[in-house]
Amino acid sequence: MRGYEVIACLKDYLTEDDLLVSSNGNISREVYHLLTKPQVYLRGSMGLPVGVGLGLAVMNSDKRVTVITGDGNLLMGFGSLITTAFYRPKNLRILILDNTQYYTTGGQKTVSTAINYNKFFESLNIEYFKSLIPTEMNLKPVLSEFFDIGLLSILHLTIEEGKQDLANIPWHPTQISMEIQKKFLKE
Amino acid sequence: MIDISEFIKFIEENFDLVSGVPCSYFKNLLATLAKQEEGLTIKHLIATREDEAIAIATGAALSRKRALVYMQNSGIGNIGDALTSLVQLYQLPMMLLISSRGLEDDIDFPEHSIMGDINDPLLETLKLKYWYLKEEWWQKIMQEAITEMNTQSLPVVVMVKKGVLSE
Ligand SMILES: Cc1ncc(C[n+]2csc(CCOP(=O)(O)OP(=O)(O)O)c2C)c(N)n1
Repeated sequence: MRGYEVIACLKDYLTEDDLLVSSNGNISREVYHLLTKPQVYLRGSMGLPVGVGLGLAVMNSDKRVTVITGDGNLLMGFGSLITTAFYRPKNLRILILDNTQYYTTGGQKTVSTAINYNKFFESLNIEYFKSLIPTEMNLKPVLSEFFDIGLLSILHLTIEEGKQDLANIPWHPTQISMEIQKKFLKE
Repeated sequence: MIDISEFIKFIEENFDLVSGVPCSYFKNLLATLAKQEEGLTIKHLIATREDEAIAIATGAALSRKRALVYMQNSGIGNIGDALTSLVQLYQLPMMLLISSRGLEDDIDFPEHSIMGDINDPLLETLKLKYWYLKEEWWQKIMQEAITEMNTQSLPVVVMVKKGVLSE
């Protein structure tokens, strides 16, 4: 499956109380166009999506926070996975869409294939993790577990490269920021 | 030196989260924070990098909470993109408490000398408003920085020289 196909599938699992943080480049663009708005669409700050999700999760234990990150972003801020494993917020989900490339900048290879993700997650003693190649068949049950387990969970999906033709995110970052903060005003 | 318990009380009253990477100038502050951790109303997250601490603070700011990030000024070298493409771009309020290394006291620590020289011009180039914390009037300085942070909805910097928050 391609990244945008996985992202489109998430629709069935998200409620009003979910909050997504998407990593810069293609992934943010896909999350903006394919899922409910507003979400935290990062336009820059490569390497920081997990940290942003961690901050949101620890400060808002009543919200389910899901980080959707590319492998390039994950590798740039790899320490944040360790920090997350240390604090293990129950309401945080990390979805890694691994195309083994910096796809957005032209498909240059990342070093992601050097990692045995199952062994690595195991070493972090995270309650729920899976690393797999998603198919139409296997993805849905895995997503159900991933979202419903109620514990810090990490899902690593090895995806095929490819994108839909989607327009740039029309919202200025200050609008993204305002729309997200509005969600926290109501409470 | 500022009374650390009073300083922590002030932080507790004005912030919801603290995160950062240590400097020896914050030794007393961080030791007292660690000792009081259980009773604190604020969360403290230890970060692996300064930009990670900024990211954690961003999560707090997006949910209308206030975060304080502490770091050594060498960490300014690690946060350029986190500031320009995230915190400043998304207009998120947060306070950065930064130790001022590379001054006369650090004559034997050449690793700090170049950053020490460019510290203030670098903050200015980054368009960051900054204050130097002083033992007398420290509440007033902190309050001024907090007011600026909230009214502008932007990051502000409070610089800490040797002896201000530690012996
Ligand atoms: C600090 C920094 N360096 C480089 C870039 C350029 N850049 C933008 S997106 C991107 C690739 C991100 O890769 P990944 O997270 O794997 O997502 P993908 O593009 O594969 O979907 C890069 C290198 C950037 N935005 N910021």
